[in-house]
Amino acid sequence: MVIRIAAVGDVHLDEDVVGRFRPALEELPECADVLLLAGDLTRHGTEAEARCVAEEFGGLAVPVVTVLGNHDHQCDQVPQVVKVLQDAGITVLEGNGVVLDCAGGRLGIAGVKGFGGGFAGRCASDFGEPEMKAFVRTTTDSADRLGAALRSLDCDMLVALTHYSPVPDTLAGEPLEIYPFLGSYQLGQAIDSAPTALALHGHAHAGTERGTTPGGVRVRNVAHPVIKQAYSVFHVGDQLDTDQVSPIGQSGIQRSWS
Amino acid sequence: MTHHRDIGADPPDEYVEAEIHRLLAEDPAVAEQGITVVRRERALVLYGEVESPHRREEILRRVSERFPDVPITSDIGVIRAQAPTEIEQLP
Ligand SMILES: [Fe+2]
Ligand SMILES: [Fe+2]
Repeated sequence: MVIRIAAVGDVHLDEDVVGRFRPALEELPECADVLLLAGDLTRHGTEAEARCVAEEFGGLAVPVVTVLGNHDHQCDQVPQVVKVLQDAGITVLEGNGVVLDCAGGRLGIAGVKGFGGGFAGRCASDFGEPEMKAFVRTTTDSADRLGAALRSLDCDMLVALTHYSPVPDTLAGEPLEIYPFLGSYQLGQAIDSAPTALALHGHAHAGTERGTTPGGVRVRNVAHPVIKQAYSVFHVGDQLDTDQVSPIGQSGIQRSWS
Repeated sequence: MTHHRDIGADPPDEYVEAEIHRLLAEDPAVAEQGITVVRRERALVLYGEVESPHRREEILRRVSERFPDVPITSDIGVIRAQAPTEIEQLP
């Protein structure tokens, strides 16, 4: 049995974009069981922009699950943004999860926005000025909540949804100097702490599509400027046998297009 | 003999680049973090992709407004939003 997952991130909606995604979204029921949004739904995180998101991504024939991105925090209207999205039937995750009954089994999705910090050996440390400690602790807290949410879900297949990247692989194309602002290894560690089948993220507009966590979980950067289409569709096989969850450890660029 | 930069002369290009980069992210009319500023011989060129033609025009307008003396050209694309034609199998 297979679960069909459609995903896109970084659509950065405002009035000028409403309607652009809709024709492709109308085709979703034929090709996917669920649509996952990887954050940066808006330009500035205003309630008005959230209404554009509700108009574009609401009322679809498949469930829509999202996390927020850094842009969705810009105007400090997160509670209003979340409410508008929820009123449109969109599930907003932050440190929690949801289980959906799909034809191919129960799909568990755990999500957090995540944060920066960098990757193993080249990352910020919880040391020194309070500002630096607050920065690193924001990442650590977020990763801890993602790990706990992933491990709490009772399902047949587990997906992690974040805005920031859990691995450096999918950042290739971005300047190396800004990697610490694009993701953190702690998110990867959280993903590897559970039998995760797939990790989806956005945020790195100039990154690349495919990567793998150190534990072998497949990672996909679904930022709209990266995938250059309305959404990507992944067919994920039956993951009931956890031995099958992480066999792809050798290469971050394994391609299995059909 | 060494040449000294006149006080009050144009700021070095690197600072202009940094300022444009910050403007693109922080100006509410733009709010783009994915635009690259590249220094070419005759002008600064803006590269990247945005969600609408309106945003592309707005970026060029705001940057030229703020730096009227800097020659700037743009090669910014609008991201396609068509349905996918292929799926990825993850067994
Ligand atoms: Fe983004
Ligand atoms: Fe982002």
